[in-house]
Amino acid sequence: MTSPEIELKVREILAAKLGIEPSAIHGDSRLAEDLGVDSFGAVELLFEIEEAFGLTIPDSDIGKVRSVADIVTYLDGWLAARAAALPPK
Amino acid sequence: MSKRRVVVTGLGVVACNGVGVDAFWDANTAGRSGISPIDAFDVTDLASKVGGQVRGFVPGKYMPEDTAKRVDRFVHFGLACADMALRQSGLDLGAEDPERIGVIMGSGLGGLMFHEEQMVAAFDRGAHRINPAAVARISPNAVASQIGIRYGLKGPNLVISTACASGANAIGEAFRKIQYGEADVCLTGGVEAPLTQFNFGAYCALRVLSKNNQNPAGASRPFDLGRDGFVMSEGGAVLILEERERALRRGASVLAEITGYAGNSGAHHMVMPEPEGNDAARVMAAALRDAGLRRVDYINAHATSTRANDVAETKAIRAVFGDEAPAIPISSTKSMIGHSIGAAGAIEAVVCVKALQEQLIPPTINLDTPDPACDLDYVPHESRAAKMEHVMSNSFGFGNCNVALTFSKAR
Repeated sequence: MTSPEIELKVREILAAKLGIEPSAIHGDSRLAEDLGVDSFGAVELLFEIEEAFGLTIPDSDIGKVRSVADIVTYLDGWLAARAAALPPK
Repeated sequence: MSKRRVVVTGLGVVACNGVGVDAFWDANTAGRSGISPIDAFDVTDLASKVGGQVRGFVPGKYMPEDTAKRVDRFVHFGLACADMALRQSGLDLGAEDPERIGVIMGSGLGGLMFHEEQMVAAFDRGAHRINPAAVARISPNAVASQIGIRYGLKGPNLVISTACASGANAIGEAFRKIQYGEADVCLTGGVEAPLTQFNFGAYCALRVLSKNNQNPAGASRPFDLGRDGFVMSEGGAVLILEERERALRRGASVLAEITGYAGNSGAHHMVMPEPEGNDAARVMAAALRDAGLRRVDYINAHATSTRANDVAETKAIRAVFGDEAPAIPISSTKSMIGHSIGAAGAIEAVVCVKALQEQLIPPTINLDTPDPACDLDYVPHESRAAKMEHVMSNSFGFGNCNVALTFSKAR
């Protein structure tokens, strides 16, 4: 999955959650300041991302994601690490 | 301090035979059953397959879509009924002091649907896969809290859980809060969404549900010799209770007055009523004393369609009203809508208010062959016009939680 694909998926999840168009969400949109996501909303959002991508985000990493770009970067890193851990085809 | 008088200025109801007060009242006075084969979940393995499912109810009609998506079905019923009742009351919440408005609701079971769904997720996929919204959606007090949040109501906020008496207990406690000045207005009632695989299965295991699967509309038959248990249903009701003087000052249309309340316990058994109906008689007598009344003109009975209840309740009515008992019309709302557990007492309070307004008693349907042990006037088959000043509603919950309420014609 490429970064733009990840970003599109994240924007879709956020848009469905917030009830707005995905086009209103940008890579640099900040969750709290720009999108009005409170701390409970962030927990719910991360749960949905965990469900969609099949990963578990540890509590210690939650503070690292404050914007859409942060989430994409985090998922990019996780996907790369997972690919590296898999045996070669 | 002296007790203040309390009136009803708004009603909202969701029931399996009608959504909204007008549709519900039309169905009740026409003797129309809302019981049908259950298709909300798989009943293949269960002996009982009929229930009071609310059909055609669209939560988004009564609340923002975002809210509808985030709450359980029992809260949908609460928010919808609150919306209907507030509209009818004509209250201008923007001009009211929100700290003087309370929300007191009853629910026997809370957010069962989401609870069961999340239990499955936890067992199938691990406890770390539980949705973070679970706590907020499952909590029984979500119904009062969500109504408070939706309308910004900052007075007393409670959910009372006394099984099948929850809704009646909630109304009684809201009545007291206004009588003694802790609030001026209360949104109060009860809700339940009990038609889930686990919960329905649990009541089946208790062998208290009707197995009259061939004839759903005839399954709930209180006081009838052919009854074989109660029929479980879902729904809710909200009443707006308001201190009488302020309601009159603002020109509200007063639908009825709530005049008496009592609650007690039979201290007998978790699922059996005290067989002689002594505790039921005591609670009815106490509600009459609270209202300063000697008799009533109509009783909306608890009347579940179980032999244990119907016989004990009949004995209790005889014990309280003596020789006058046979002259008091009694009817069972549950004959048409089944038993909605924590919502039942509130839905039946709506029936009492409408009966006083319209001077019309809805019938007990399916009463074809009266049980000889049930020998009073249960208004069989057809509704009946009657002059009514004072009426009583009984609610008896599992665990012997008993409640009686009295309502009086608006004066």
